[in-house]
Amino acid sequence: MLLLGPVNVLNDLLLRFFSQETINFFIWPLIQIGLVVTLVALWVAYATYLERKISAFMQARLGPMRVGPWGLLQPIADGLKLLTKEDFIPEKADRWIFFFAPYIAVASAFIVFSVVPFGPDWAVIADVNIGLLLVLAVSSVGVLALILAGWSSNSKYALLGGLRSSAQMVSYEVAMGLSLIGALMFARTLSLSGIVGAQGSDSIWFILYQPAGFMLFLISGIAENNRAPFDLPEAESELVAGFHTEYSGMRWSLFFMAEYAAMVVVSAVAATVYLGGWYFPFVYRLETAGYHNLYVIVSLLVFLVKVSIILYIYFWLRWTLPRFRYDQLMDIGWKWLIPSALINIALSAIAIFLVQALNGYRGMRTIESLDRGLNLTATGKGIMIVIGFAGVFIIAALLARINWRSRDFNLKTQRRNIRLVNLPKGKPAVSVSEV
Amino acid sequence: MILSGYEALFFWIFALAAIFAALLTVMARNAVHSALFLISSLVSVAALFVLAGAEFIAGVQILVYVGGVMVLFLFVIMLVNVGAEEHGREEIFNNRRQVTASLIFCFLLVAGVLYAVNEGYRGLQKSRPIPENALGAGTRPTETGPPGATGTSMITKDTEAVGNSLYRYASLPFEIASVLLLVAIIGSVMLARTLKQEASADDVDPELLQEEIARDSELAKLEPQSE
Repeated sequence: MLLLGPVNVLNDLLLRFFSQETINFFIWPLIQIGLVVTLVALWVAYATYLERKISAFMQARLGPMRVGPWGLLQPIADGLKLLTKEDFIPEKADRWIFFFAPYIAVASAFIVFSVVPFGPDWAVIADVNIGLLLVLAVSSVGVLALILAGWSSNSKYALLGGLRSSAQMVSYEVAMGLSLIGALMFARTLSLSGIVGAQGSDSIWFILYQPAGFMLFLISGIAENNRAPFDLPEAESELVAGFHTEYSGMRWSLFFMAEYAAMVVVSAVAATVYLGGWYFPFVYRLETAGYHNLYVIVSLLVFLVKVSIILYIYFWLRWTLPRFRYDQLMDIGWKWLIPSALINIALSAIAIFLVQALNGYRGMRTIESLDRGLNLTATGKGIMIVIGFAGVFIIAALLARINWRSRDFNLKTQRRNIRLVNLPKGKPAVSVSEV
Repeated sequence: MILSGYEALFFWIFALAAIFAALLTVMARNAVHSALFLISSLVSVAALFVLAGAEFIAGVQILVYVGGVMVLFLFVIMLVNVGAEEHGREEIFNNRRQVTASLIFCFLLVAGVLYAVNEGYRGLQKSRPIPENALGAGTRPTETGPPGATGTSMITKDTEAVGNSLYRYASLPFEIASVLLLVAIIGSVMLARTLKQEASADDVDPELLQEEIARDSELAKLEPQSE
């Protein structure tokens, strides 16, 4: 049994000082938290390296090559450089808030990792029944850090960046929450482990049922993280560096770390909800063969690969698309993403109703069982997938119709059009005699 | 329910934090500092909700109040320049009548809370069984699901119970509340954008403006602006 030996030895050692209950409730979670924080911090550091490498390859350059083989030690060198730089606080800044804002950013990004299921069994820190709600709540607290940093710097660029970020994140939070509800209808639980379990017991990934929901979540996630093409709060060409203009040294790098950690969080949630989390077909055979810890480790690797794929999409988009204008940003959020998330919820409800109604119609069997959520047969899954992919086009068509020429909406012409129809003023549109 | 061990420890920490943060909210001179203390108070109350076993309410408290309402508060505070009060050096609680009035209201509030808690406790002592269907089929609040993946946390059916009771038994108040919010949005848009403003932004058709002026002579002085 791989790895289990040292664990038991450690447990026996701890039993001399603490009761078993204290070990289960405090010591093990603390060890897990320490491991996750260290590994995520390392991962974040190497995400910056990967971003630089990928951007370099996209622009036919080599990227960092000097420090270590292929520049592999570059993130460590960067970290050392930032640690030794002067930590400057502007004279007229609000010292305490300026001091604390970066910590709020980092904490709100890292707390979410406490509920992310990295794998089965011991690879979960806490499985709470409001997992997904906690993710949304804590990442919404992240906005505070940006606003406070922008305000406390006492600089106009920073304040503009802070105001932009608050408006942007408040509007995209709604779309983010709504886009997840479609997947929750299939999972029937908010617990992230429960969502992975629902996909495992149905042996399907929810991206097949919910392609529209996945796209919406990814777009609003990118906007929520202030990444290009939605990086208006720190737009270099307009606002110097936006909300962190006045920051330097370690405090600046904390913001940088928070940004990358928040990216990893959104990718992890997207992988958990839509790509099946640590679930992968046939990996469960390791468990039945008796290699429990190997099974957990392989599942962990599966999860890491899925998260990395979504992170790659992030980098790819950043180095491909130009930044949106501010009015375009608000248009996408309010006129496109939120209505399409609402239509997606309605379509998912109709799809579930349809599949349940078709069960037993002309001998068709769509539902396997209803004991643990909605377990579908192959026919049922097929219908659901077809509706899911057709849904993308239905949503696109509906919204294109609704938003047709919404760009040139103009009150003046609107009023003139109403006058051309010549509605009688001050009377109801439908007169009583007609009815 | 008697608190013991770590639960009691955490209860006292968060309860005291909530009270002190609420006090500091009132006493801080800077509006942004006040907002921050209010946020800490709200987070402490969310922690108390978790201790009471209402995780869903705790999550919604943070999502709505801290992530939504307080962010908009800060947004407004930053847009509106509040400089006059924050540099003042005079004492905040200087008026004898203010202090007396607030003390009387504080006393009434404490008396009301004590009465309500006592009544609620007596009601619990009677241990009236909850009707089977009050919270939706099979979602009694005491019912706990399977243990979590780590085996340390129990998954309660709290979220399901809230959803069931909200959409089955309280769907009409729920819809009324959402209509109320819609009315508030439309009302604020109407208040924010009057015909006067539209005319000065040159958003009104000239013919229509003439008609409006004929109805309301006060608008006549707007005409040169729109041209």
